[in-house]
Amino acid sequence: MRTLIAGVGYSNLSDSSIGPIAAAELKRESWPADIKIDDLSYGPISVVHNLAETRPQYERLVLITAADFGAQPPAMRWDLWPAILPDAEDVQARVVEAAGGVIDWKNLLIILQQFDVLPREVFVITVQPVKTDFGMELSSGMRELLPEILRVARVLAMNAKPEVVQPTVSNKA
Amino acid sequence: MCFKNLPIEFDESGKMTLRGDGTAFDLRRQPQTIGPKPLSDEQIKSLLAKNGYIRDVDFDPVTRVAGALAFHAVADLKERKVLTTNSMATLFRGYEVIMLGRDPRDAIFITSRACGVCGGVHSVTSCLALEMAMGLVPPPLGVIVRNLLLEIEFNYDHPLHLFLLAGPDYSRAIVEQTNPEVWEKAKSYHAPGRDWHGYETIGAIMEDLNLLTGKLYLEALHMTRVAREAYVVLGGKYPHPQTIVPGGVSTTISLQTFNEFYLRLQKFFDYSKKCIAIWDDLTEFFYTANPRYKEVGTRPKNLVDCGIWDDPESYDSTYVNCDRWGERRWSTPGAIVDGELVTTRLTAINAGIEEFVDRSYYETWNGQRFPRDPSGNPLSPFHPWNKETKPKPTGQNWKEKYSWSCTPRWDRQTTEAGAYARLWIIAAAKKLRPNPFLEPTGTSLKIKLPKAARPEREVEWKIPETWNAFERNRGRAYCIALNAMAAMNDWLKGLDLLKQGKTEVSTPFKIPTKGTQIGAGFWGAGRGWLTHHLVLEKGHVANYQIVTPSTINASPRDPWDNPGAYEEAVLNTPLLETFDDPADFKGVDILRTIRSFDPCMPCTTHIYAGKRVISREVNTCACGADDEHEHSHAVATAR
Repeated sequence: MRTLIAGVGYSNLSDSSIGPIAAAELKRESWPADIKIDDLSYGPISVVHNLAETRPQYERLVLITAADFGAQPPAMRWDLWPAILPDAEDVQARVVEAAGGVIDWKNLLIILQQFDVLPREVFVITVQPVKTDFGMELSSGMRELLPEILRVARVLAMNAKPEVVQPTVSNKA
Repeated sequence: MCFKNLPIEFDESGKMTLRGDGTAFDLRRQPQTIGPKPLSDEQIKSLLAKNGYIRDVDFDPVTRVAGALAFHAVADLKERKVLTTNSMATLFRGYEVIMLGRDPRDAIFITSRACGVCGGVHSVTSCLALEMAMGLVPPPLGVIVRNLLLEIEFNYDHPLHLFLLAGPDYSRAIVEQTNPEVWEKAKSYHAPGRDWHGYETIGAIMEDLNLLTGKLYLEALHMTRVAREAYVVLGGKYPHPQTIVPGGVSTTISLQTFNEFYLRLQKFFDYSKKCIAIWDDLTEFFYTANPRYKEVGTRPKNLVDCGIWDDPESYDSTYVNCDRWGERRWSTPGAIVDGELVTTRLTAINAGIEEFVDRSYYETWNGQRFPRDPSGNPLSPFHPWNKETKPKPTGQNWKEKYSWSCTPRWDRQTTEAGAYARLWIIAAAKKLRPNPFLEPTGTSLKIKLPKAARPEREVEWKIPETWNAFERNRGRAYCIALNAMAAMNDWLKGLDLLKQGKTEVSTPFKIPTKGTQIGAGFWGAGRGWLTHHLVLEKGHVANYQIVTPSTINASPRDPWDNPGAYEEAVLNTPLLETFDDPADFKGVDILRTIRSFDPCMPCTTHIYAGKRVISREVNTCACGADDEHEHSHAVATAR
């Protein structure tokens, strides 16, 4: 299955930048030909343009990002993205934000779906950050969690069967 | 004499002198202005008591604009008019504070982050300011590449606004809902520009302006890609290019990159023909459907612009020569007051700008470090070179402070910035260098668009009789052609330089480590006016002030209680929307007015960072700030 593993988020915001950091780590590894790694933090509209021209199109996306889901940090969870479009005004508001430079993982997925370039199967690995200040370094807790994040991304990219992957929270670190 | 209000006069040689003594700039004298006056609080209270149709109309946030803008109005829904208005920038920008004490080269990359839409303009403007401070002159090809980058960047910007942000206001989905009688007329109304845009009726255009699904919306989304590709072919990255440096650019330019750029540029020849036909037809249709649409968003014809796109043979970065090199730009600097062009001199434009904070969440500053500019012309204590940024958040109160935007004024009058100011000033000034594509006539600007897939077309933008929301959008469509043909002029000049072997694109420089230097970048964003004023002390930034177009347009009232440009335009807007029950009122005419300015608030406001980082959403409350007690001015949430 042609798969894209991607990170998304702002740079230099400590643990909030886990998406781009994880993508950079994964890029250093060897991957089968049908799995690509990218950092999708360059703006949802531009991502739409690029994915629209990618041939063959991706069938699966594993997205890594930081988000507050109410867990004790550091923690991570992974979910199958339900791909339900909000109403048009909401989508439009997200397009406007994207055009204005806002980088946001939900905006990304909703805009990709709106313009028909969202892979049919999407897993989102969300990470509860410890430290969200300006800074290039991860917190020590997040550094310990990073190998697990990368492992889950590999598993979801190579082996996932949506029907057996339950939404999961982990704070093994 | 270009100043009516500032105490500055001109001698026979054109040199500016101060009229009166050192207190000449004080604020006690009421300036002569021509804008509307909002009703006083007492008048509104009196009306409220006897008229059940008066109500607060709050848009918070104003949607389909970039960044955080809220707007408060009091409207009489029976008389269908707006009584009072307040425009609120709801976030603190802070770049002026961030820049203090830094290495000046940081300005290029830090100030660029002021906006993700105008992703290249701030880096160039900061470089211009540094070049002036250091006396640094880029080689001709460096100037040309910088021009090309900004010309094509604006053709990312304008389609985005015309079809993704403002366009849906004129779509079937909106018009059918807010003015069904206009939609009925549009369905069968013949579109005169059919040969250029392909639509038989205005209704068909409106159908394709529908958000997310309309063909014009989707086509504009595609064209933003074409423009961005052209930008990165030359500039390497967009937004926030890493190749803009004082003294030119750090990118490698070859015939190949020029050709790749042209492949994208020429797509705007035909696209601009189409956009102009669409916005000409829409504008004229609305005027026919109801002549009062000419009043929507109207305000005095006061516009300012610094000009943009330098002549590589004239630009020497110095302040003392800026009048000469400014007037050689493809877009002439200028100030229009009450419809008349009063100056094209950058020194006068610079002397005329002041920033006030009386209605903003800032403290005033004392002192006037620079009473004169580098040419000896007088400067106001409120001039950006003298301004200090001292944030002081307080409760929101319409009678006092209610915005994070400052109040820039030119000659103490409410003016407006916009891409269309370029058209107007070029047309009226008639100062363009000879060229095959752009011909100002004094009352219009003729633009010759070359043959591409469609035949050659000459379009003519005429200085409008009335200035309103529709003319702003129409002007912006013509600006797509202006940008493309200014780029064509620069592209041809660049090829000529390459042919001559003049391939240098940058001049080496060293940051001065001693003394005091000052500089200003006089440039433009997609939305018009952009200036960066800096002061260097011993190699570090001692002051940095940015005036953006949306700061000018979104400004709150000034020290004399005159409204800002958005506020004025909405005050003048008749409520033409069809509704019987006030509960059904959508405010489309107000929204069309605000959006016609192409508000882009990230550069006006940005983040509030106390002990934490706000990386996402901010909500504010625009309601009830009339109350005497303090209100929370902003509720920020990070997620």
